[in-house]
Amino acid sequence: MTGYAIETHGLSVYYGRHRGILDVDLRVEQGEVFGFLGPNGAGKTTTQRVLMDIIRPTAGEARVFGRDCQKDGVAIRDQVGYLPGELAFYDSMKARRFFRMYASLQKGNRDPGYWQTLSDRLELDTSRKIGQLSRGNKQKLGVVTAFMSKPDLLILDEPTTGLDPLVQQTVMELVREANQAGATVFFSSHILPEVQAVCDRVGIIRDGQLVATEGVEDLMTQHFKRVRLCFATTPPDDAFTQEGVTVLARDGQGITLEIRQDLDKVMAAAAALGITDIETIPVSLEEIFLAYYGKGNGGGNA
Amino acid sequence: MLRLLLQELRFRRGAIIGWGLGLCFFPVVYVGLYPSFAEQMESFNEIMDLAIYQAMGINMAGFEGYVASTVTNLIPVILAVYAVINGTGTLAGEEDNGRLELIISLPIPRWQIVAVKAVALGVALVLILAITSAGAALTLVAIGGQVETNVTAVDLFLGLMSSWPLVMAFGMISLFLGTGSPSRRIAGMIATVVVVVSYLGSNLTGMITSLESIEWLFLFHFFDATAEALENGQQLGNVLVLLAVALVAFGLAVFFFQIRDVTVGAWPWQRGRMPEAAGE
Repeated sequence: MTGYAIETHGLSVYYGRHRGILDVDLRVEQGEVFGFLGPNGAGKTTTQRVLMDIIRPTAGEARVFGRDCQKDGVAIRDQVGYLPGELAFYDSMKARRFFRMYASLQKGNRDPGYWQTLSDRLELDTSRKIGQLSRGNKQKLGVVTAFMSKPDLLILDEPTTGLDPLVQQTVMELVREANQAGATVFFSSHILPEVQAVCDRVGIIRDGQLVATEGVEDLMTQHFKRVRLCFATTPPDDAFTQEGVTVLARDGQGITLEIRQDLDKVMAAAAALGITDIETIPVSLEEIFLAYYGKGNGGGNA
Repeated sequence: MLRLLLQELRFRRGAIIGWGLGLCFFPVVYVGLYPSFAEQMESFNEIMDLAIYQAMGINMAGFEGYVASTVTNLIPVILAVYAVINGTGTLAGEEDNGRLELIISLPIPRWQIVAVKAVALGVALVLILAITSAGAALTLVAIGGQVETNVTAVDLFLGLMSSWPLVMAFGMISLFLGTGSPSRRIAGMIATVVVVVSYLGSNLTGMITSLESIEWLFLFHFFDATAEALENGQQLGNVLVLLAVALVAFGLAVFFFQIRDVTVGAWPWQRGRMPEAAGE
């Protein structure tokens, strides 16, 4: 038994000859909120489906709470709440009947009536047939389904898709509360501010390969920095022509730089020019994410 | 598991009532109208001696032959259509429309999910047949005084119910095809071909002596739809063969669903391979 909620080694999935994910080594610690980022088709859903034993790995292994996802799938799923990315329900059922049925089939459900509390918080009308619900309400249904057993691990595939901003906020509150109650949360998302707001760490997957796994704060401070320097006189044009330094803007005696190397050389050059002020400009997770995909300012070397 | 089974039956409630009453209409009309043309049917004696009719189990001379040739002969064929629709729709269909992902993410072994679906399909077939058979039997009771026959209402009821092993076999074959095929559409096409070939093949091998050696290949061969079977029941050996086919098909469904990459939609031999293994 390892201390990890999720652990994969060399996990690869091929669909025929098409690559889904390749050599993914991932570790999600128990009790953390882990954001899984990547564009469409990068391999996020594939990874989550392997963890749920919905599809089987072509190579490598995946473990949840130290158990093999294939051999111990039933025991694992007893501890997991899952929200698929592509939701489909039995349209002829009323939402509450669906919840009652689903709760009755979850052996590890610690609070069979919790779905009602969750539905109330998300303002989901459970007396209506599922087929009559809007896309957003069906998403709420999926969110309630994932959280209703108070699981030890939540695997959520883009949980706020199709929800309005207020409900998105409620869902993020549910994530925080579940985490505070001891649950590990592993979720993929395209909405980077919410990842930034709730995640302890993030993994970035690109073309099926995990290219970075770091703490959100570390990622934001270490990947690149953006600073505005002010000088007593206008600095010469070539003052910061260095490897890994990009001049983003100039305004009189000020200059804004994006720095992808150690600060020492830049600071040394700035000191030689008579620096009067330094301002660090916050970099959002979204900008870092785009940089990893070569679409940010001066990106491409991530 | 019982709750899941009850839920599965609840999903099929409409289909059970609809198919039951729909099929019921068939024997009610055929049996109910018999007294109005009973005399004319007697004149069919000579025609019914033709090999093609004998091979197809059709002999409309007399009430027993008429009922066997129409109701007993055709209801299993029609009900096999339901077995194909439901057998391929229950796992393959749910995978196609995305509902299966939530079900298999429950802490339930996959074999139990297949078992519940199979039992639900079996119960649905029993209930549809029961409604149909009851309709036929009650109609016979209603016209009893106008028809000379040894067949009782109970015979008719049991005669129709005895087609359950046959349609169950088709249901399980359809279920198995659904677990091994990329999509419900493909599974449904193959299952339909199996039913049609089985029906026509059974009739053909009955007509052509040289083909008798392969008649066992066609499932309809193991269901006796003649007047004799209506009075004496099906042969136990044939019933056991059909049940064995259903059991084997169920076993294959469990096996293929166990190894299936759900949501991928591929044949079993199209499973992912690492480039090295694929020789790339």
